[in-house]
Amino acid sequence: MQQKDVFYRTWPLRFWNWLDKRYALQEFLHALVDVPIPRSANTLYLGGITLFLFGIQAITGILLSIYYQPTPENAYGSILFIMNDVRFGWLIRSIHAWGANLMIIFCILHLLRVFVQGAYKPPRELTWMAGVLLLMLTLGFGFTGYLLPWDQRAFWATTVGSEIAGAIPLVGQAALNFLRGGPEITALTLSRFFGTHVLVLPVGLALLVAIHLVMVHQQGLADPTEPTGSPDDLLQEGAEGSRVGGSDDH
Amino acid sequence: MRESDPRESEGRLPTVDRRGFVRSLLGFSIISTIMGVLTPIIGYLWPPARSARGGGGRVLVGTLTDIPPGQAEVLPINDKPVIVVNTQDNQVRAFSAICTHLGCVCEWEDRRQFILCPCHDGRFNALTGAVISGPPPSPLPSVEVVVEDGDIYAGGA
Ligand code: HEM
Ligand code: FES
Repeated sequence: MQQKDVFYRTWPLRFWNWLDKRYALQEFLHALVDVPIPRSANTLYLGGITLFLFGIQAITGILLSIYYQPTPENAYGSILFIMNDVRFGWLIRSIHAWGANLMIIFCILHLLRVFVQGAYKPPRELTWMAGVLLLMLTLGFGFTGYLLPWDQRAFWATTVGSEIAGAIPLVGQAALNFLRGGPEITALTLSRFFGTHVLVLPVGLALLVAIHLVMVHQQGLADPTEPTGSPDDLLQEGAEGSRVGGSDDH
Repeated sequence: MRESDPRESEGRLPTVDRRGFVRSLLGFSIISTIMGVLTPIIGYLWPPARSARGGGGRVLVGTLTDIPPGQAEVLPINDKPVIVVNTQDNQVRAFSAICTHLGCVCEWEDRRQFILCPCHDGRFNALTGAVISGPPPSPLPSVEVVVEDGDIYAGGA
Protein backbone atom coordinates (compact mmCIF):
# COMPACT_ATOMS: atom_id res chain seq x y z
CA MET A 1 0.00 0.00 0.00
CA GLN A 2 2.72 2.50 1.02
CA GLN A 3 4.22 3.11 -2.40
CA LYS A 4 7.83 4.05 -1.84
CA ASP A 5 7.58 5.33 1.67
CA VAL A 6 11.14 5.52 3.08
CA PHE A 7 9.86 4.88 6.54
CA TYR A 8 8.32 1.58 5.60
CA ARG A 9 11.59 0.48 4.11
CA THR A 10 13.49 1.10 7.34
CA TRP A 11 14.50 -1.97 9.28
CA PRO A 12 12.79 -1.14 12.58
CA LEU A 13 9.49 -0.92 10.78
CA ARG A 14 10.08 -4.07 8.79
CA PHE A 15 11.00 -5.88 11.97
CA TRP A 16 7.86 -4.57 13.65
CA ASN A 17 5.73 -5.76 10.73
CA TRP A 18 7.41 -9.15 10.86
CA LEU A 19 6.59 -9.48 14.57
CA ASP A 20 3.10 -8.07 14.13
CA LYS A 21 2.23 -10.62 11.46
CA ARG A 22 3.07 -13.40 13.88
CA TYR A 23 1.73 -12.09 17.19
CA ALA A 24 -0.96 -9.55 16.25
CA LEU A 25 0.84 -6.95 18.32
CA GLN A 26 -0.96 -4.05 16.69
CA GLU A 27 -4.25 -5.39 17.93
CA PHE A 28 -2.89 -5.96 21.42
CA LEU A 29 -1.48 -2.44 21.63
CA HIS A 30 -4.72 -1.07 20.27
CA ALA A 31 -6.69 -2.77 23.02
CA LEU A 32 -4.28 -1.43 25.64
CA VAL A 33 -3.74 2.11 24.46
CA ASP A 34 -6.60 3.25 22.22
CA VAL A 35 -9.07 3.76 25.00
CA PRO A 36 -11.58 6.59 24.86
CA ILE A 37 -10.92 9.15 27.56
CA PRO A 38 -13.16 12.05 28.55
CA ARG A 39 -12.76 14.99 26.18
CA SER A 40 -12.31 17.63 28.84
CA ALA A 41 -9.84 15.73 30.98
CA ASN A 42 -6.79 17.96 31.24
CA THR A 43 -5.16 16.48 34.31
CA LEU A 44 -5.18 12.78 33.52
CA TYR A 45 -1.46 12.66 32.73
CA LEU A 46 -0.40 12.99 36.37
CA GLY A 47 -0.50 9.26 37.07
CA GLY A 48 1.40 8.62 33.84
CA ILE A 49 4.14 11.04 34.85
CA THR A 50 4.42 9.24 38.19
CA LEU A 51 4.82 5.94 36.35
CA PHE A 52 7.42 7.46 34.02
CA LEU A 53 9.36 8.71 37.05
CA PHE A 54 9.23 5.25 38.57
CA GLY A 55 10.86 3.96 35.38
CA ILE A 56 13.59 6.60 35.72
CA GLN A 57 14.11 5.64 39.38
CA ALA A 58 14.35 1.96 38.52
CA ILE A 59 16.98 2.55 35.81
CA THR A 60 19.08 5.04 37.78
CA GLY A 61 18.64 3.00 40.98
CA ILE A 62 19.90 -0.18 39.32
CA LEU A 63 22.88 1.79 38.00
CA LEU A 64 23.62 3.20 41.48
CA SER A 65 23.47 -0.27 43.03
CA ILE A 66 26.38 -1.27 40.78
CA TYR A 67 28.80 0.98 42.71
CA TYR A 68 27.00 1.54 46.01
CA GLN A 69 28.18 -0.61 48.96
CA PRO A 70 25.62 -1.10 51.75
CA THR A 71 27.95 -1.38 54.75
CA PRO A 72 28.69 1.27 57.39
CA GLU A 73 32.40 1.19 56.49
CA ASN A 74 31.93 1.67 52.77
CA ALA A 75 28.57 3.32 52.14
CA TYR A 76 29.60 6.96 52.35
CA GLY A 77 32.90 6.30 50.56
CA SER A 78 31.08 4.56 47.72
CA ILE A 79 28.80 7.59 47.33
CA LEU A 80 31.87 9.85 47.11
CA PHE A 81 33.34 7.42 44.60
CA ILE A 82 30.18 7.62 42.49
CA MET A 83 30.17 11.42 42.65
CA ASN A 84 33.90 12.00 42.01
CA ASP A 85 35.37 9.06 40.11
CA VAL A 86 32.68 7.25 38.14
CA ARG A 87 31.97 8.84 34.76
CA PHE A 88 28.53 10.50 34.85
CA GLY A 89 28.13 9.19 38.40
CA TRP A 90 27.11 12.67 39.58
CA LEU A 91 24.50 12.71 36.83
CA ILE A 92 23.00 9.31 37.65
CA ARG A 93 22.90 10.03 41.38
CA SER A 94 21.42 13.48 40.92
CA ILE A 95 18.72 12.18 38.57
CA HIS A 96 17.87 9.53 41.16
CA ALA A 97 17.64 12.10 43.96
CA TRP A 98 15.58 14.58 41.90
CA GLY A 99 13.40 11.82 40.50
CA ALA A 100 12.66 10.63 44.03
CA ASN A 101 11.32 14.04 45.02
CA LEU A 102 9.41 14.53 41.77
CA MET A 103 7.86 11.08 42.03
CA ILE A 104 6.41 11.88 45.44
CA ILE A 105 5.18 15.28 44.23
CA PHE A 106 3.46 13.86 41.15
CA CYS A 107 1.99 10.97 43.10
CA ILE A 108 0.34 13.49 45.43
CA LEU A 109 -0.81 15.70 42.53
CA HIS A 110 -2.36 12.61 40.93
CA LEU A 111 -4.16 11.81 44.16
CA LEU A 112 -5.46 15.38 44.44
CA ARG A 113 -6.78 15.30 40.89
CA VAL A 114 -8.64 12.05 41.55
CA PHE A 115 -10.02 13.53 44.73
CA VAL A 116 -11.07 16.88 43.28
CA GLN A 117 -12.78 15.25 40.31
CA GLY A 118 -14.52 12.75 42.54
CA ALA A 119 -13.05 9.89 40.51
CA TYR A 120 -12.64 7.78 43.63
CA LYS A 121 -16.38 7.24 43.96
CA PRO A 122 -18.02 3.87 43.30
CA PRO A 123 -17.25 1.74 41.38
CA ARG A 124 -13.63 2.91 41.72
CA GLU A 125 -13.10 2.40 45.47
CA LEU A 126 -10.47 -0.31 45.07
CA THR A 127 -8.50 1.68 42.51
CA TRP A 128 -8.35 4.50 45.06
CA MET A 129 -7.24 2.16 47.83
CA ALA A 130 -4.54 0.63 45.66
CA GLY A 131 -3.47 4.21 44.95
CA VAL A 132 -3.17 5.03 48.64
CA LEU A 133 -0.95 1.97 49.08
CA LEU A 134 1.13 3.11 46.11
CA LEU A 135 1.68 6.48 47.78
CA MET A 136 2.78 4.76 50.97
CA LEU A 137 5.25 2.57 49.08
CA THR A 138 6.60 5.65 47.29
CA LEU A 139 7.11 7.39 50.63
CA GLY A 140 8.75 4.19 51.87
CA PHE A 141 11.26 4.49 49.00
CA GLY A 142 12.11 7.97 50.14
CA PHE A 143 12.46 6.96 53.79
CA THR A 144 14.67 3.92 53.15
CA GLY A 145 16.70 5.61 50.40
CA TYR A 146 17.54 8.58 52.57
CA LEU A 147 19.58 6.44 54.98
CA LEU A 148 21.73 4.88 52.27
CA PRO A 149 24.37 7.64 51.89
CA TRP A 150 25.11 6.97 55.60
CA ASP A 151 26.15 10.51 56.40
CA GLN A 152 25.08 12.65 59.34
CA ARG A 153 21.90 13.83 57.66
CA ALA A 154 20.92 10.28 56.77
CA PHE A 155 21.66 8.96 60.25
CA TRP A 156 19.70 11.62 62.12
CA ALA A 157 16.80 11.65 59.68
CA THR A 158 16.39 7.92 60.25
CA THR A 159 16.79 8.38 63.99
CA VAL A 160 13.97 10.92 64.06
CA GLY A 161 11.82 9.04 61.56
CA SER A 162 11.97 5.78 63.44
CA GLU A 163 11.38 7.55 66.75
CA ILE A 164 8.08 8.75 65.33
CA ALA A 165 7.11 5.10 64.97
CA GLY A 166 8.36 4.60 68.51
CA ALA A 167 5.79 7.10 69.78
CA ILE A 168 2.85 4.89 68.84
CA PRO A 169 1.03 3.80 72.02
CA LEU A 170 1.61 0.18 73.15
CA VAL A 171 3.30 -1.18 70.02
CA GLY A 172 5.67 1.77 69.60
CA GLN A 173 8.82 0.14 70.93
CA ALA A 174 8.18 -2.99 68.88
CA ALA A 175 7.65 -0.90 65.73
CA LEU A 176 10.87 0.97 66.39
CA ASN A 177 12.82 -2.23 66.91
CA PHE A 178 11.33 -3.67 63.75
CA LEU A 179 12.28 -0.61 61.67
CA ARG A 180 15.81 -0.42 63.03
CA GLY A 181 16.46 -4.12 63.34
CA GLY A 182 17.18 -3.53 67.04
CA PRO A 183 16.99 -0.65 69.49
CA GLU A 184 19.81 1.31 67.80
CA ILE A 185 20.67 2.36 64.26
CA THR A 186 23.44 -0.02 63.25
CA ALA A 187 24.77 -1.99 60.31
CA LEU A 188 21.60 -4.09 60.62
CA THR A 189 19.48 -0.99 60.00
CA LEU A 190 21.51 -0.11 56.91
CA SER A 191 21.20 -3.55 55.38
CA ARG A 192 17.48 -3.89 56.03
CA PHE A 193 16.85 -0.42 54.61
CA PHE A 194 18.94 -1.30 51.58
CA GLY A 195 17.14 -4.60 51.00
CA THR A 196 13.78 -2.90 51.37
CA HIS A 197 14.79 -0.07 49.09
CA VAL A 198 16.16 -2.11 46.20
CA LEU A 199 14.14 -5.35 46.38
CA VAL A 200 11.00 -5.31 48.52
CA LEU A 201 9.63 -1.92 47.51
CA PRO A 202 10.41 -2.09 43.77
CA VAL A 203 8.76 -5.51 43.41
CA GLY A 204 5.81 -4.45 45.58
CA LEU A 205 5.34 -1.19 43.74
CA ALA A 206 5.55 -2.82 40.29
CA LEU A 207 2.93 -5.42 41.19
CA LEU A 208 0.64 -2.84 42.71
CA VAL A 209 0.99 -0.51 39.72
CA ALA A 210 -0.01 -3.41 37.47
CA ILE A 211 -3.11 -4.06 39.57
CA HIS A 212 -3.94 -0.33 39.70
CA LEU A 213 -3.69 -0.04 35.90
CA VAL A 214 -5.69 -3.19 35.18
CA MET A 215 -8.48 -1.79 37.35
CA VAL A 216 -8.33 1.56 35.54
CA HIS A 217 -8.35 -0.17 32.17
CA GLN A 218 -11.29 -2.40 32.97
CA GLN A 219 -13.49 0.45 34.18
CA GLY A 220 -12.36 3.22 31.89
CA LEU A 221 -11.59 6.67 33.24
CA ALA A 222 -14.24 8.60 35.10
CA ASP A 223 -15.72 11.45 33.10
CA PRO A 224 -15.27 14.63 35.12
CA THR A 225 -17.99 16.43 33.15
CA GLU A 226 -20.56 13.84 34.13
CA PRO A 227 -22.17 14.75 37.43
CA THR A 228 -21.33 11.91 39.77
CA GLY A 229 -23.23 13.46 42.61
CA SER A 230 -22.52 13.57 46.28
CA PRO A 231 -22.77 10.42 48.40
CA ASP A 232 -26.27 11.61 49.28
CA ASP A 233 -27.32 11.59 45.65
CA LEU A 234 -26.13 8.04 45.27
CA LEU A 235 -28.62 6.98 47.91
CA GLN A 236 -31.46 8.46 45.90
CA GLU A 237 -33.21 6.22 43.44
CA GLY A 238 -32.57 6.79 39.78
CA ALA A 239 -30.06 6.04 37.09
CA GLU A 240 -27.10 5.27 39.24
CA GLY A 241 -25.25 3.78 36.33
CA SER A 242 -25.03 7.11 34.58
CA ARG A 243 -24.00 8.92 37.74
CA VAL A 244 -20.99 6.72 38.01
CA GLY A 245 -20.04 7.94 34.59
CA GLY A 246 -17.35 7.15 32.12
CA SER A 247 -17.51 3.45 31.74
CA ASP A 248 -20.74 3.28 29.74
CA ASP A 249 -19.45 4.90 26.59
CA HIS A 250 -17.22 2.05 25.52
CA MET B 1 13.17 18.25 -5.54
CA ARG B 2 11.18 20.30 -8.01
CA GLU B 3 9.02 18.43 -10.45
CA SER B 4 11.00 19.87 -13.30
CA ASP B 5 14.31 18.41 -12.16
CA PRO B 6 15.38 16.47 -15.26
CA ARG B 7 17.47 14.00 -13.29
CA GLU B 8 14.43 12.90 -11.40
CA SER B 9 12.65 11.68 -14.52
CA GLU B 10 15.74 9.65 -15.29
CA GLY B 11 15.11 7.92 -12.01
CA ARG B 12 18.55 8.72 -10.63
CA LEU B 13 17.24 10.52 -7.53
CA PRO B 14 15.06 8.80 -4.98
CA THR B 15 11.71 10.45 -4.49
CA VAL B 16 11.31 11.75 -0.99
CA ASP B 17 7.87 13.07 -0.31
CA ARG B 18 7.03 15.37 2.55
CA ARG B 19 5.81 12.54 4.76
CA GLY B 20 8.92 10.49 4.18
CA PHE B 21 11.10 13.49 4.91
CA VAL B 22 9.34 14.25 8.18
CA ARG B 23 9.57 10.63 9.15
CA SER B 24 13.29 10.44 8.62
CA LEU B 25 13.66 13.58 10.70
CA LEU B 26 11.64 11.81 13.36
CA GLY B 27 13.90 8.78 13.02
CA PHE B 28 17.00 10.94 13.47
CA SER B 29 15.60 12.57 16.58
CA ILE B 30 14.65 9.22 18.06
CA ILE B 31 18.11 7.85 17.36
CA SER B 32 19.88 10.90 18.77
CA THR B 33 17.73 10.75 21.90
CA ILE B 34 18.61 7.09 22.37
CA MET B 35 22.29 7.89 21.91
CA GLY B 36 22.01 10.74 24.39
CA VAL B 37 20.63 8.36 27.00
CA LEU B 38 22.98 5.48 26.23
CA THR B 39 26.20 7.53 26.26
CA PRO B 40 26.13 8.37 29.99
CA ILE B 41 24.94 4.87 30.86
CA ILE B 42 27.77 3.17 28.97
CA GLY B 43 30.27 5.68 30.34
CA TYR B 44 28.98 4.95 33.83
CA LEU B 45 29.25 1.20 33.46
CA TRP B 46 32.78 1.38 32.09
CA PRO B 47 35.20 0.78 35.02
CA PRO B 48 36.38 4.16 36.29
CA ALA B 49 40.08 4.96 36.17
CA ARG B 50 41.20 5.13 39.76
CA SER B 51 44.66 6.27 38.75
CA ALA B 52 43.59 9.87 39.23
CA ARG B 53 43.86 9.34 42.97
CA GLY B 54 46.45 7.43 45.03
CA GLY B 55 49.10 5.36 43.24
CA GLY B 56 52.06 7.75 42.85
CA GLY B 57 49.72 10.70 43.06
CA ARG B 58 51.88 12.61 45.52
CA VAL B 59 51.47 16.35 45.47
CA LEU B 60 53.95 19.18 45.95
CA VAL B 61 52.40 21.10 48.82
CA GLY B 62 55.04 23.77 49.31
CA THR B 63 58.54 24.37 50.62
CA LEU B 64 59.97 24.45 54.10
CA THR B 65 59.90 28.26 53.87
CA ASP B 66 56.14 28.16 53.22
CA ILE B 67 55.63 26.07 56.34
CA PRO B 68 58.39 27.07 58.76
CA PRO B 69 59.01 25.14 61.99
CA GLY B 70 56.10 25.46 64.41
CA GLN B 71 53.60 26.02 61.57
CA ALA B 72 51.07 23.88 59.72
CA GLU B 73 48.73 24.23 56.79
CA VAL B 74 45.48 22.54 55.77
CA LEU B 75 45.48 21.71 52.06
CA PRO B 76 43.23 19.78 49.70
CA ILE B 77 45.07 16.65 48.57
CA ASN B 78 43.23 14.23 46.29
CA ASP B 79 39.93 15.96 47.12
CA LYS B 80 40.44 15.58 50.87
CA PRO B 81 41.66 18.03 53.50
CA VAL B 82 45.13 17.17 54.80
CA ILE B 83 47.06 19.04 57.49
CA VAL B 84 50.81 19.29 56.86
CA VAL B 85 52.73 20.08 60.07
CA ASN B 86 56.31 21.22 60.50
CA THR B 87 57.02 20.84 64.22
CA GLN B 88 59.28 23.11 66.22
CA ASP B 89 62.07 20.55 66.02
CA ASN B 90 61.79 20.33 62.19
CA GLN B 91 59.79 17.12 61.89
CA VAL B 92 57.40 17.20 58.94
CA ARG B 93 54.19 15.18 59.31
CA ALA B 94 50.87 15.04 57.50
CA PHE B 95 47.48 13.79 58.69
CA SER B 96 43.99 13.65 57.35
CA ALA B 97 42.38 16.82 58.68
CA ILE B 98 38.96 15.20 58.94
CA CYS B 99 38.18 14.93 62.63
CA THR B 100 37.50 11.34 63.67
CA HIS B 101 34.67 12.51 65.91
CA LEU B 102 32.04 13.99 63.58
CA GLY B 103 34.07 14.92 60.58
CA CYS B 104 34.83 18.63 60.99
CA VAL B 105 38.00 19.94 59.34
CA CYS B 106 40.77 20.44 61.91
CA GLU B 107 43.08 23.45 62.17
CA TRP B 108 46.47 24.28 63.60
CA GLU B 109 46.62 25.65 67.13
CA ASP B 110 49.67 27.86 66.81
CA ARG B 111 50.10 28.94 70.41
CA ARG B 112 49.88 25.49 71.99
CA GLN B 113 51.29 23.53 69.04
CA PHE B 114 48.66 20.85 68.50
CA ILE B 115 45.99 20.02 65.93
CA LEU B 116 42.62 21.35 67.05
CA CYS B 117 39.13 20.43 65.95
CA PRO B 118 37.07 23.62 66.36
CA CYS B 119 33.75 21.77 66.60
CA HIS B 120 33.99 20.10 69.99
CA ASP B 121 37.51 20.98 71.06
CA GLY B 122 39.08 17.70 69.98
CA ARG B 123 42.88 17.91 70.26
CA PHE B 124 45.46 15.80 68.44
CA ASN B 125 49.21 15.36 68.85
CA ALA B 126 51.10 17.06 66.01
CA LEU B 127 53.75 14.32 65.76
CA THR B 128 51.59 11.19 65.95
CA GLY B 129 48.02 12.32 65.33
CA ALA B 130 47.03 10.67 68.63
CA VAL B 131 44.11 12.10 70.60
CA ILE B 132 45.22 14.39 73.42
CA SER B 133 41.75 15.22 74.70
CA GLY B 134 38.16 15.73 73.62
CA PRO B 135 35.52 13.52 72.03
CA PRO B 136 37.39 12.05 69.02
CA PRO B 137 37.46 8.25 69.40
CA SER B 138 40.61 7.57 67.36
CA PRO B 139 43.78 9.26 66.09
CA LEU B 140 43.94 11.17 62.82
CA PRO B 141 45.11 8.80 60.06
CA SER B 142 48.55 9.86 58.89
CA VAL B 143 49.33 10.70 55.29
CA GLU B 144 52.63 9.92 53.56
CA VAL B 145 54.90 12.95 53.45
CA VAL B 146 58.50 13.43 52.22
CA VAL B 147 60.86 16.40 52.07
CA GLU B 148 63.25 16.63 49.12
CA ASP B 149 65.56 19.65 48.82
CA GLY B 150 63.24 21.72 50.96
CA ASP B 151 60.19 20.74 48.88
CA ILE B 152 57.36 19.01 50.75
CA TYR B 153 55.40 16.29 48.97
CA ALA B 154 52.31 14.71 50.50
CA GLY B 155 49.86 11.98 49.52
CA GLY B 156 50.52 9.05 47.21
CA ALA B 157 51.49 5.54 48.14
C1 HEM C 1 10.87 4.16 42.75
C2 HEM C 1 11.07 5.06 43.60
C3 HEM C 1 12.39 5.33 44.29
C4 HEM C 1 12.53 6.36 45.15
C5 HEM C 1 11.46 7.36 45.54
C6 HEM C 1 13.90 6.32 45.62
C7 HEM C 1 14.44 7.22 46.54
C8 HEM C 1 15.77 7.30 46.91
C9 HEM C 1 16.35 8.35 47.72
C10 HEM C 1 15.60 9.54 48.35
C11 HEM C 1 17.68 8.08 47.84
C12 HEM C 1 18.72 8.92 48.52
C13 HEM C 1 19.30 9.80 47.43
C14 HEM C 1 20.51 10.55 47.79
O1 HEM C 1 20.52 11.20 48.84
O2 HEM C 1 21.43 10.46 47.02
C15 HEM C 1 17.95 6.85 47.13
C16 HEM C 1 19.18 6.23 47.02
C17 HEM C 1 19.40 4.99 46.40
N1 HEM C 1 18.50 4.25 45.66
FE1 HEM C 1 16.57 4.76 45.36
N2 HEM C 1 14.56 5.26 45.05
C18 HEM C 1 13.67 4.60 44.22
C19 HEM C 1 13.94 3.46 43.47
C20 HEM C 1 15.13 2.74 43.49
C21 HEM C 1 15.36 1.49 42.82
C22 HEM C 1 14.33 0.77 41.96
C23 HEM C 1 16.66 1.11 43.11
C24 HEM C 1 17.43 -0.11 42.68
C25 HEM C 1 16.98 -1.25 42.29
C26 HEM C 1 17.24 2.14 43.93
C27 HEM C 1 18.55 2.12 44.42
C28 HEM C 1 19.13 3.11 45.21
C29 HEM C 1 20.48 3.12 45.68
C30 HEM C 1 21.53 2.03 45.43
C31 HEM C 1 20.65 4.29 46.43
C32 HEM C 1 21.91 4.74 47.15
C33 HEM C 1 22.72 5.71 46.35
C34 HEM C 1 22.53 7.15 46.81
O3 HEM C 1 22.18 7.38 47.98
O4 HEM C 1 22.76 8.04 46.00
N3 HEM C 1 16.29 3.09 44.16
N4 HEM C 1 16.77 6.40 46.57
S1 FES D 1 33.88 16.91 65.18
FE1 FES D 1 35.86 17.18 65.88
S2 FES D 1 35.60 17.16 68.01
FE2 FES D 1 33.57 16.81 67.30
